[in-house]
Amino acid sequence: MRLALIGLAILFLAAFLALPLVAVFSQALAKGVGAFLKGLADPDALSAIRLTLTIAAIAVPLNLVFGVAASWAIAKFNFRGKSLLLALIDLPFSVSPVISGLVYVLLFGLHGSFGPWLRDHGVQIIFAVPGVVMATVFVTFPFVARELIPLMQEQGVEDEEAAIVLGASGWQTFRLVTLPNIRWGLLYGVLLCNARAMGEFGAVSVVSGHIRGKTNTMPLHVEILYNEYNFVAAFAVASLLALLALVTLAAKAALEWRFADQIAAAKR
Amino acid sequence: MAIEIRNVEKTFGAFTALGGVSLDVRSGELLALLGPSGSGKTTLLRIIAGLDHADAGEVSFDGQDTRDRAARDRKVGFVFQHYALFRHMTVFDNVAFGLRVKKKAERPAEMDIRRRVDQLLTMVQLSHLASRYPSQLSGGQRQRVALARALAIEPKVLLLDEPFGALDAKVRKDLRKWLRHLHDDMHITSIFVTHDQEEALELADRVVVMNHGQIIQVGTPAEVYDHPADSFVFDFLGGVNRLNGVIEAGVARLDGKAVRVDGAVGADGPAVIYVRPHQVELGVAPADGVPDGKWSARVSSLHAAGPVARLELDLAGRALEAQLSRDRLSDLALEVGSWCTVDFRHARVFPAKS
Ligand SMILES: Nc1ncnc2c1ncn2[C@@H]1O[C@H](COP(=O)(O)OP(=O)(O)OP(=O)(O)O)[C@@H](O)[C@H]1O
Ligand SMILES: [Mg+2]
Repeated sequence: MRLALIGLAILFLAAFLALPLVAVFSQALAKGVGAFLKGLADPDALSAIRLTLTIAAIAVPLNLVFGVAASWAIAKFNFRGKSLLLALIDLPFSVSPVISGLVYVLLFGLHGSFGPWLRDHGVQIIFAVPGVVMATVFVTFPFVARELIPLMQEQGVEDEEAAIVLGASGWQTFRLVTLPNIRWGLLYGVLLCNARAMGEFGAVSVVSGHIRGKTNTMPLHVEILYNEYNFVAAFAVASLLALLALVTLAAKAALEWRFADQIAAAKR
Repeated sequence: MAIEIRNVEKTFGAFTALGGVSLDVRSGELLALLGPSGSGKTTLLRIIAGLDHADAGEVSFDGQDTRDRAARDRKVGFVFQHYALFRHMTVFDNVAFGLRVKKKAERPAEMDIRRRVDQLLTMVQLSHLASRYPSQLSGGQRQRVALARALAIEPKVLLLDEPFGALDAKVRKDLRKWLRHLHDDMHITSIFVTHDQEEALELADRVVVMNHGQIIQVGTPAEVYDHPADSFVFDFLGGVNRLNGVIEAGVARLDGKAVRVDGAVGADGPAVIYVRPHQVELGVAPADGVPDGKWSARVSSLHAAGPVARLELDLAGRALEAQLSRDRLSDLALEVGSWCTVDFRHARVFPAKS
């Protein structure tokens, strides 16, 4: 029975996860390593890679700070509007990313609420990098907070109170007590947030305008290449994206393995 | 340090957790806050520590109002019910925490911190476990780490919330004695919360009995035990016989016979007579009936292990517990099933709660 269940799980994973992954890499390398590298070295591809990394570098730290602040407030304090804040944090999960993108267009687009004012001040958000970054930040917002809120709620406030009675300042308490208590949850949140920031398609697709070499991210670039029947290049970029995801996963697994005892201790 | 608590009130929503509490804690004493669950003990302790704020009233330390002093500036040692040890720090680092977070100007050199922590760990007999993590300790060991950590900042007051609550009976007793010795050595004003009356009576210099957010009685263990303020304290301290009787024309009666009682008698009506087992006086039943003013009872069981004998008696259908010395028992020559006379040396009566 146990073997059958394990076998079923492995079969399922192989069919729906491993197989596509293998397909991506084999397609990318179908015409040899040379073609693969050429696909990646294309200036537009390089620009897409650079933009994706830039977006992640902005969105992840921002959501790290927002996420920690929001979870701290929600888990450790009682205030009015707490459930509203919780609902807002979940919003990006509950609406389709395409809608999220559209909201930004409606707000900041040329015909949007702030559009004319922005145009008069020479600021372009939609169909430009700022819009892409904002859409990504919005879509990836829940990852850190959602990971931390249950953890912090479960841990309660006793540790913090103990630190304060011992004379620690608010900042010392956060740095020496709260942060170490949540570091694993925080790390997972950040890894997930990062994976999504790099892979986001829907919302980014709406606000970016697909300007090659300017507002194209890796997922958008893959789509363009694919639609142009440039399969090798498309899969080359796609395999790079997949590789980033695999590295993220491997990093998580390695950390879990390396610090297994600490993680267990933190949960007690 | 002396603590004065004046008319402190605290409500949570519509619920009154503390309804005007006043208390003087004397410098250097070991005070027990005793009361049933939900009586407001923890709330009072947290207000003293500055972790909660009173809605009204004031708390002062040595005559100085503490209203504007944040918890971190109060220099109180607080031992939490579940210890709240920092789980990612070793025992050593836990104890050193309070010293290391001090402002630069006041912080001892790392070497002095080490010396001080070593000293504290020796005192709580945990030097050999300095590099362990809290999850690798037993409950009693965690408890002592929490205490050492609280003492590291040389607090003026030590507050302990159910310090032995989560421990088994044997460890509890040992730690209790040990805490008493520690207090006798250091003389820090200490308040500990408990809902175990035995613990409060055995350990404390004075006991504060609380119920429903009110202080019912304050006194030495002997005062509280021998002169409970009301029926609640009697019931809560336990180890007492409750006999249903009546008050008629200002006299307490049990089965028609008058009971001599200490203190006020109260209004006429149904009443409960409280008698401690060692205040029950037994006598040899005379052959011809019962002498006036006394009751008679039959022995239903008898435990005579140790210096004191405990008897369960049947007094006209009521269970009555009595305690007497083994010598007195053999003088009376009582056995299970034999009859004896019963009288009460000291009894109290309170109107029955309708
Ligand atoms: N933060 C809070 N919010 C709402 N009610 C609270 C809060 N803290 C305490 N109370 C209520 O106040 C009352 C007193 O609580 P407190 O913790 O002081 O009781 P206690 O005497 O310490 O009881 P125990 O022996 O069970 O620990 C309880 O009825 C509790 O439900
Ligand atoms: Mg309590």
